[in-house]
Amino acid sequence: MKRRELLSLFGMSPGLLLEAGVAEAKDKNAVRGAVESDPKLTAVSPKGTPPPIRLYAMAPRANSLDGKTLYLVDATHFDGSETLLMEMQAWFRQNVPSLKTVFRKKAGAYAADDPKLWAEIKANAYATVMAIGH
Amino acid sequence: MGVPAIPMCTVAYKELADLTAARDGMPHLREVFTPHPVGGKTSAELAAYLVNPDPVSGIPITKEIVEDLTRPLSADEMKSGTRSIAAGPATYGPASADNLQELFMTNGMTDYLPIVIPTAEKVEAMLKGTSHSPDEVLRTPLQGVGYTSARWGYTVRQVAVNAVMAGCKPEYFPVVLAMAFVGTLGLFGSTTSSGSAIVINGPIRDKLNVNYGLGALSPFAHSNATIGRSWTLMGKNLTNGGILGDTYQGSQGNQLDYNNCVIAEDEKNSPWTPLHVQFGYKAEENVVSLFGGPDVRQGAGARGAGAEPAMFDQQISYMCESMVGGSGALAILDPLVAKRLVEQGYESKEKLSEYVYKNTKRAVKDFKESFLAPFHLYPLALEGREPYASWYKLPDDAVIPFFPSAKQINFVVCGGQANAFFQIANMNHFRSESIDKWM
Repeated sequence: MKRRELLSLFGMSPGLLLEAGVAEAKDKNAVRGAVESDPKLTAVSPKGTPPPIRLYAMAPRANSLDGKTLYLVDATHFDGSETLLMEMQAWFRQNVPSLKTVFRKKAGAYAADDPKLWAEIKANAYATVMAIGH
Repeated sequence: MGVPAIPMCTVAYKELADLTAARDGMPHLREVFTPHPVGGKTSAELAAYLVNPDPVSGIPITKEIVEDLTRPLSADEMKSGTRSIAAGPATYGPASADNLQELFMTNGMTDYLPIVIPTAEKVEAMLKGTSHSPDEVLRTPLQGVGYTSARWGYTVRQVAVNAVMAGCKPEYFPVVLAMAFVGTLGLFGSTTSSGSAIVINGPIRDKLNVNYGLGALSPFAHSNATIGRSWTLMGKNLTNGGILGDTYQGSQGNQLDYNNCVIAEDEKNSPWTPLHVQFGYKAEENVVSLFGGPDVRQGAGARGAGAEPAMFDQQISYMCESMVGGSGALAILDPLVAKRLVEQGYESKEKLSEYVYKNTKRAVKDFKESFLAPFHLYPLALEGREPYASWYKLPDDAVIPFFPSAKQINFVVCGGQANAFFQIANMNHFRSESIDKWM
């Protein structure tokens, strides 16, 4: 089963993935069979504390892209991403002429926030495609 | 933001994209994947990517984008709220020591070397190495901030469990806590496979028998071996790092990750100010300084390494020319090298840093074509950050310093004086932290 499906099924907990692995390992131990006379130990978990997950509802979709504006954002500046988005812009201009496309590069290095750009997108765009690498 | 967004990346990062989306609260995010890689492809090849099928969905990419932006949302896609997640059980067992070794290894909680089983008794003994409360939080879990592996929180007790696993003695624990407090834990997950280094200064070096003499960087002291190892285990366990394909993406990995290059400075045989004093601490303070970057390399490979008399200033500069620009340098000098440098006229580390800064140069074109420049340094230039903003305005044949400042060139002295050798870590200084605060 894919990890994403597991996350969804088990309340999106990477920790539950770990527990699934533990169960598997325990089974292996059972098959192998511990020697009865071995002293039994209890180990403390070395794991830190994960943050809670806040679920976000996805933004509602329109029925069509006619008359809408789509921002194409190079979010990482990785090699080739700008060219890829330029090709995408050319494709949309030719094949979906009723859609306006705007190309932008996110400011800062790849992990930096760019609140100015997010505000611009919120004000002007119906949607955005973000090239996030590699 | 309330705006439909389609993230697009190459198929090589599908699992990471899925897990990141789930952890950031959108487990059903509509993602689009191109073939891998995008870098190095021509415009025509990239144009073909867009009309050919997404390797995951099988739908042509441009068609898929249109569909993803116009298809009504499902009930799952509209869910909101907060969910707590667990990191697994609080304890494992009871089981035999062998089975626990296997269990910890199978679940990615070790470095694949045998560990000391962290029983409650051993953890309690470790906690006696500090006056801090076991439940003191060193870092609170952060939601939605920074890298996914940097969002977990941890307590003094959770750090102690990892110190036990690494084989640390309780008297080492304040050093481990100081490292944990910095928060930049080992096993940095970048595709670049960066490694880490730990510099220890102050009287605690002798109290803990940290080796800074013969074979200082090799496995000849219990404290060097286990303190360094603890940093990697903490990176794996305390912050959920080191999960291959998820929080760890290092393409080739880095052998430094086994021990993180523990360096204790030989303050007695160094002719210079110790590193921690350069960073503003008092000489009698105990301090750990953490560094990170691509590699550690032997100075014996430097141009002019066999010349007589030895011109170590030039050799160090030559070595720096092939480093990753944007990262700093941490030169690790045997006391014999340091003494020779004093003979050359470098009465301080600062003077030597200034020499290396001024004499290690390259053309602007080489800077622009260097590894970090296009995606890391150029964006900084666009923000007006110096010296990058000025460098990008110069002609390609202009000559500029290799390092952005002399402060990024650091020196520590250690070694057994068996030969005049040095090594250079291509690493940045992250932060230094008082060990005494954690006693």
